Amino acid sequence: MVRRHTALYWIGVLLVAAWGVVQLLPILWMISTSLKPLRDVFALPVEWIPRPPQWGNYPAAWGQFPFARYFLNSFIVSAAVTVLNVFLAGLAGYSLAKYRYFGQRALFIAILSTLMLPIEVVMVPTFLIVKTLGWLNSYQGLVIPVVADAFGIFLMRQFMLGLPDSLVEAARIDGAGELGTYFRIVVPLIWPAVLTLSIFTWRETWDAFVWPFIIITSDTLRTVPIGLQRFQEQYVTTYNSVMAISTIAMIPMVLLFFFFQRAFVRGIALSGLKE
Amino acid sequence: MPSESLALEAARPAAGRRSAGGTGQSPAPGEAPVRAARRHGRRAWLRSAEARHQAWGYLFLAPMFVLLVVFKFIPMVQAFYLSLTNYDLLSAPRFIGLRNYLTLLGDPLFRQSVGVTAYYVFGTCVLLWLLALAMALVFNAPLPAKNALRTIYFLPAIVPVVVYAVIWQFMFHPYGLLNVGLQSIGLRPVQWLTDSRAVMPGFILAGLWRFVPYFMIIYLAGLQNIPHEYYEAAAIDGAAGVQAFRFVTLPLLRPTIMLVIVVSLILMSKVFTNVLIITGGGPDGATRVLSLFIYQTGFQFFKMGLASAASIFLLLGTMTFTLLQLRLFREDARG
Repeated sequence: MVRRHTALYWIGVLLVAAWGVVQLLPILWMISTSLKPLRDVFALPVEWIPRPPQWGNYPAAWGQFPFARYFLNSFIVSAAVTVLNVFLAGLAGYSLAKYRYFGQRALFIAILSTLMLPIEVVMVPTFLIVKTLGWLNSYQGLVIPVVADAFGIFLMRQFMLGLPDSLVEAARIDGAGELGTYFRIVVPLIWPAVLTLSIFTWRETWDAFVWPFIIITSDTLRTVPIGLQRFQEQYVTTYNSVMAISTIAMIPMVLLFFFFQRAFVRGIALSGLKE
Repeated sequence: MPSESLALEAARPAAGRRSAGGTGQSPAPGEAPVRAARRHGRRAWLRSAEARHQAWGYLFLAPMFVLLVVFKFIPMVQAFYLSLTNYDLLSAPRFIGLRNYLTLLGDPLFRQSVGVTAYYVFGTCVLLWLLALAMALVFNAPLPAKNALRTIYFLPAIVPVVVYAVIWQFMFHPYGLLNVGLQSIGLRPVQWLTDSRAVMPGFILAGLWRFVPYFMIIYLAGLQNIPHEYYEAAAIDGAAGVQAFRFVTLPLLRPTIMLVIVVSLILMSKVFTNVLIITGGGPDGATRVLSLFIYQTGFQFFKMGLASAASIFLLLGTMTFTLLQLRLFREDARG
């Protein structure tokens, strides 16, 4: 679209630029604080690029808590939840989209209705169930209840409804078998959905706070968000260390965003259906 | 359907529309064979291809469905049951009828918590709707370096939630960046963390920082779905600028606006992590939102029954918003 740039347009550009800077300031402040000696943290005027940068803050803070373990835990839990959720939600979505059976409609409505039960609402009974199962302080406890999420089913079903039935039937007639049809014909065709759901689930799990916070008391099972919260609680006034750890904790999310920007943004926009 | 371009990028729009209502399937093609089979007797049908086909359907759905039953349906039923009991985790739950609900209604702390939650939810949401829309409109214009800008804009929305809380606790510090900013334009510093009148506006500000980019992305998707031809036609009729916005953008953006409204209401009513980390509910309960009230009642005072009753109230809130949302999707699917 070619058009003459009016004054209004340039005011808009200025607004966007100004707002962008304002939004970045808190993050920049966090990073610059992480590189300051403690006594200069609140020095005025604000020193945006500390001279010299105290890179030593990072190893010093990292060494206080077993953060390597927390990262490993977060990685294990996120990977397990993502693989299980995408796999099982894909199968369930396929079942709802491409099969016809008695009670299907009722089952689908029942599944949809669980979307309105975020963990903040059912934290007490879910905790009690996991306690009954003996899963407090365990990887199962961190993974299995989180896999039970209907958003993926809903998403996969929507995508699979877009595939022509004839395609699936043709594969069946060719003797591909039910599982073969699913994995060799359907999954490759809905790859964008699989990627979107994977990124989305990974991000949600990596960033999950409430659930691990409730069921984990053992230090060897803490994930990054819980570790960071504990660290912040203990060293609340050692601002430069807290900011150094926070900066480290932000990096995986930022990397994920840069590498999978499209799928990431699509997932964010889609989560509207979930929240 | 507002999210169609996002949700169904790989799917066909027609199929998406048919399905968007959630359940609007054409008459099941399985029915005729079933009726035919019944004539041949039950046993023959059980061996038929159709029966096998249906069995696979159930089989594929089963694992996820069992998980949902155990970790969603049972907790839901249990929440209702526990809300009618007195339960401290040590002895068995004791049935006490509706007494928990009466206790809550008479509890000034609970009433304060409901008020605080409403303040946060509506305070954040109303500003969010307007600011995110304004930013999306500006961003929808052809800007230099748009993609790079969008990436930068999005950063607050992808910061991990605990980091978001840590950053803002630091911003709220008496010598923090917020007060530095206020003083640099000649205003007096504010005690963001200890002044019970200032603490909630501070949280709303933090919420806007995090969620304006998030909802701007949703608005942008809606705006980009409006065909240019509509604006060109409007221009021929002499409508440009504000008029084009009033008569073209707003009506066509209506589904997106409704989506943003409902989603933001649900998202904000779940607020927990940042409040727990930044203030822990203080000062004097000025930030003790409902989810924090539930957490403290259940996991710090071990009153599981009372906490469950409180979560029924929160559930009523999110349920209302969710039903509203499902309804909207159905309307969009029809229209």
